[in-house]
Amino acid sequence: MIDTISLLDEIKKAPYKELTVSTPHSGEIEFVVNKAGVKVNGKSGNWGEKPGTLLAYLTREGNKKPIYSPEKGEVVMFHDVQNNQFVQAGTPLLKIRHFLTKQEVIDIILKQTLHLFLAPEKGKYYFVSAIDLKLKAKGLGHVNIKPGDEVLIISRMKRETVLTYEGQPGIIFTIYFNSSESVEAGSPLLGICPRDQLEDIKEVVARIQNSWEEKE
Amino acid sequence: MNKHNILIANRGEIALRIMQACIELGARFTCVYTREDANSEHCTEAMKKGGEKALYRISSYQDPNEIFAVADAAGCTAVHPGYGFFAEDYRFARRAEQRSRKLAFIGPSWNIIQELGDKINTKRLARRLDVPTVPGSDRPIFDDMEAEELATSLFTFQKEIGVHQPVILVKASAGGGGMGIEEVNDLDRFRTVLRRIKNYSKRQFRDEGVLIEQRIFDFNHLEVQILGDKHKGAVHFGTRNCTVQSIGRQKRIEVAPGFDPENISYAFDASKVLEDITEYSLRMAREVGYDSVGTWEWIISPMGHPFLMEVNTRIQVENGVSAIISTINDQEVNLLKEQIRAGLGFELGYDQSDIVFNGVGIEYRILAEDPDNNFTPWVGRIEKFSWTDYPWLRMHTHVPTQRPYDIPTEFDPNLALGIVWGENLDQAKMRGEIFLEKLILQGTNPAGEPLKSNIEFLKSKTRDILVF
Repeated sequence: MIDTISLLDEIKKAPYKELTVSTPHSGEIEFVVNKAGVKVNGKSGNWGEKPGTLLAYLTREGNKKPIYSPEKGEVVMFHDVQNNQFVQAGTPLLKIRHFLTKQEVIDIILKQTLHLFLAPEKGKYYFVSAIDLKLKAKGLGHVNIKPGDEVLIISRMKRETVLTYEGQPGIIFTIYFNSSESVEAGSPLLGICPRDQLEDIKEVVARIQNSWEEKE
Repeated sequence: MNKHNILIANRGEIALRIMQACIELGARFTCVYTREDANSEHCTEAMKKGGEKALYRISSYQDPNEIFAVADAAGCTAVHPGYGFFAEDYRFARRAEQRSRKLAFIGPSWNIIQELGDKINTKRLARRLDVPTVPGSDRPIFDDMEAEELATSLFTFQKEIGVHQPVILVKASAGGGGMGIEEVNDLDRFRTVLRRIKNYSKRQFRDEGVLIEQRIFDFNHLEVQILGDKHKGAVHFGTRNCTVQSIGRQKRIEVAPGFDPENISYAFDASKVLEDITEYSLRMAREVGYDSVGTWEWIISPMGHPFLMEVNTRIQVENGVSAIISTINDQEVNLLKEQIRAGLGFELGYDQSDIVFNGVGIEYRILAEDPDNNFTPWVGRIEKFSWTDYPWLRMHTHVPTQRPYDIPTEFDPNLALGIVWGENLDQAKMRGEIFLEKLILQGTNPAGEPLKSNIEFLKSKTRDILVF
């Protein structure tokens, strides 16, 4: 098993991540938050149905689209974009410093402890229907896979190829991809937990839940 | 022309060719690109030839709002969709024409795209005009039982006409470009394939409709290149043969003209077939008032019976191979320029008798793919890409030759089009082999494996051209 205590100490040295908020598409920008130091919230609610703090509006083809803060944190800097300027897609607007939550710390630790099945190539990934049905019926932490199983379909360049699982046999514990988004080569697709380590992993998760203090 | 600013709503080699056509016509242009394409040659050229204001980053080539927002910001008067993306989307064409800040759509009128872009409507129109079509469904089928019943009747029909091993095709009705098509030779397998095609179609096109048709073996795949204007003028630019394909009906070599009756003997009257399909295509084009470039796709059975497959209401990848064998009043032909002129409302200014065909053209589609492994696209970095220039060669590519290029996985895997011309088929084939021999395409993938390409496959197929 991995030394989670050392890992946690490492995370505590810099318990935050900085993220850049960029325009999702082109349009005219109108800032709502316009100075550094402002505290912002991310989306909340049981299903993430409540949006985060409103940062700006982006107007395109007569439609005014709100841009919300994706995470809780503090605005630390603004990029050189003027109010009412036409901006291209992907233009960086501002930077938010976000302090890690318990769940994010658990995700970091799990990525170090689980066996990761990595994307062999860049593309969109889908579960094969047999696995998809099992996951829907049983949920995460209950579906076994072993080497040689057909698990995923990779879709790229208008071609679809079935992907066979290679790695340790175990249970699908986490899913790191979303079938509507392209996954970079080498990014994790699945976190696989060997059956005999399931209890240990659960214990690690519980330990973080008890020991990690979230900052405001 | 100089009052026009044309938004090029596409990428890669077609964006480069449209850009060049705009420059030659004296029109301004505006290009768009996505994050994945930032290193593409079409961006470099747009900056070089049009300046900073001629290039805009967008989130997706498939978001119409992005296209229209940029068109407004750049002050565009027209939009050219190229091929793929919005090229055959009548809703996009209609919106361009009907929005408050009108944009001329460089393509057929939206109602024509709606009518001919639908394989089913095309089939019905063809049957009404006595144009032969492939036996099979003339509407999308969603119901499994109905699909099975039609499959059964097609198997029975083929047995009745003496086909030893009847085969049918199951196609995603919303598909195109050879995607989402599978062959079936018995009813048990049909059920599996039907489910697979429906799932594929649902994922790729959000549509579960399928078409079921008779599979015709050992056929030739021919095309007729049509051009019309908004003043009821319509001409053709001859035929092409697209029979050399990889797996999944992906074209790899196109030859113009479609047959070579003077040098090759066929089991049927090839001259008459070419004449017939050209006449049928023009008959349909004139019936609907076709007002842009378009391609009528044909299957020619081993006995020389033509069947219309579909109409592509757009410029095609292989337009250059028709252009290279054609002249209008002794001038070189550029079908993109003709398409732009027609789209902006200009008359053709010539008729069929002004168009002369000369020689043979061969177009090679160069891809990074592995022909020994089901033509699986190869993904990685191109480190060296070069070719030798000849007067009889036209090369179209968006791949830089002066710097490395990471092949994006989000798009069609085409890297380049090499079009050679010869006075006759033998000379064109010989030149094709010379071109491929001198072509250098090298690179590595993240695992350090060398680039795989279809160059050897193209060489081997060159020898068999037009002897199918």
